[in-house]
Order: sequence, then C-alpha cells, then structure tokens
Amino acid sequence: MSREAKAYIKGVKVSERHGAEEWAAERLSSLILVPLTLWGLWAGFTLSGGGYEGARDWFASPVNAVLLAVTLLVSLWHMNMGLKVIVDDYIHRPGSRSAILGLIGLLCLVIAAAGVFFIVRLALGSAPLPAGFGI
Amino acid sequence: MSSSPLSGDTSNDPADDQTGRFVRQPNGRPRPLSPHLQIWRWHVTMAASILNRMTGSALSVGAVLIALWLLALAFGPDSYATFTGWMGSPLGLLVWFGLTLALFLHLAGGIRHLIWDAGAGLSLKTADALSWASMILGVVGAVAFWVLLFASGRVLL
Repeated sequence: MSREAKAYIKGVKVSERHGAEEWAAERLSSLILVPLTLWGLWAGFTLSGGGYEGARDWFASPVNAVLLAVTLLVSLWHMNMGLKVIVDDYIHRPGSRSAILGLIGLLCLVIAAAGVFFIVRLALGSAPLPAGFGI
Repeated sequence: MSSSPLSGDTSNDPADDQTGRFVRQPNGRPRPLSPHLQIWRWHVTMAASILNRMTGSALSVGAVLIALWLLALAFGPDSYATFTGWMGSPLGLLVWFGLTLALFLHLAGGIRHLIWDAGAGLSLKTADALSWASMILGVVGAVAFWVLLFASGRVLL
C-alpha cells in the first residue's frame, strides 16, 4: 500500500486522504452561513404576509436577489456535505452508499439550478412562467 | 460485543455485514465500529450534537420548500395564491414553525460547534454550558420569531 507521509499538526494526525479538506469546507460553509441565515430570517419575516405583490417588489431589489441566490447555493453546498457525513456514518455497503450519495447530490443540483433560474427571472421582473416557453 | 465473529453466526460475519457493526478499513480489513447510540449514557453534549444533526436533516426539507416557494412565485399570482393557501393553513404554519425551530437550533448549534472547532470551550463544564445555551437560545429564538410574526399581524391563524 502506498501511503503518503503522515502529517501531524499540534500532535493531531492529519487525514491521509481528503478528510481534512471536507472538514475545513464544512466549517467554512458554516461560517459563511451564520450571517446569511440571520439575513434570511429577516427576509422571511419581511416577506411574510406580503402576498404576491410584496414578494415581487422584494425581488426588484438586486441586493435581495443576489443575497438569496448566494444563501441558497451555500446552503445546498453545506446540506450536501452534512447529509454525506450522515450517510457515511450509517450506510455501510459501498453500493448503497454511492447510490444514496448520488441521489442527494442530484437533489441538491436540481434545487440549485431551478432555484437560481427562478431567482434570475424574478429579479429581472420577467412575466410569470410559462411565458415564452410556448406552453 | 465480540470483536471477532463466531463461526456459523452469519449476522456477526464482518465479510457480509449488514448490521453496521463493522466497518471496512482502508486497508481492506473489517473492524468493529464503536458502540452505537443505545450503549451510551445520555449527556447534554451528546444530545446537543445529535440535535444538530437532526435539525440539519430537517432543514433539507426546508430547502425543498424554499425551492417550491420560488417556483410558485415565478409561475404567477394564481400559483402563488395556491402556495400561500397551503402554507398559511394551520398545518402549513406548523411545518414552518418546525422549520424555524430547526433553523434557530441548527444556527445556535453550528456556532457552538465552530467555537469547539476553534479549540475553545472544551472543558466539561463549559462544553455542557454551551450545549444548554445553544438549545435554549434555539427554542427562545424560534418562539420569539413567531410571536413577532403574529404580533405584527403578518401571520394570521
């Protein structure tokens, strides 16, 4: 078995594979999400009870649209990593694990793509869907 | 728990393990996993850590609902009215309250974990106090959020 040289930081062994990067990425996403979550709660409070017009007005502000897109994408990144750790812990058969991780990844990608698509349309003030899609 | 399988006991055979009691190490050898949840005596740091996982999983549902909210809004006033009709029903509000609670708990718990990951607050006493603080803060935050929502008339039952 080929192994890289073991590395230690302050007497703690560093992962020989990719565990350290995954650990750091999860913490980085948490750190970014702390202020974004507080903003998201405030945004949710503002939007509550505002109805359709209130929500469309809210999206007219580019700051709101951009912050929402960033919050959504970082949340999905964080969610994908968090769910992966749970699956790694409890699903032990390699085949099942890969399948479940694939489905989780797909779900996150679909939400990300659809979410950004809708946010962009709302921010640009586009006509309600399915306008322009020939339906 | 035996660390080596008894012969003839297939449920204890690490080569075909479906119980999750064994894990295949990178060197290819099956090794027993550390004891599962029911073995441990409950303590507050453990409860808070498990709660952080559970609330995180619950928030995945929240991500799907946020995507549905965006979809309903992008499809115009009629679909948005349908969406708010469902979400503004007592059951819908209960779901959103649950998600708010999960979000506040996960936020407070996440900050607690960031403090620990920075190497601070790891003495038994401080770790216990931080666990209690994050759980209490999470519940108080969520309840306060909804009291404000109702008090300001934004949400009506």
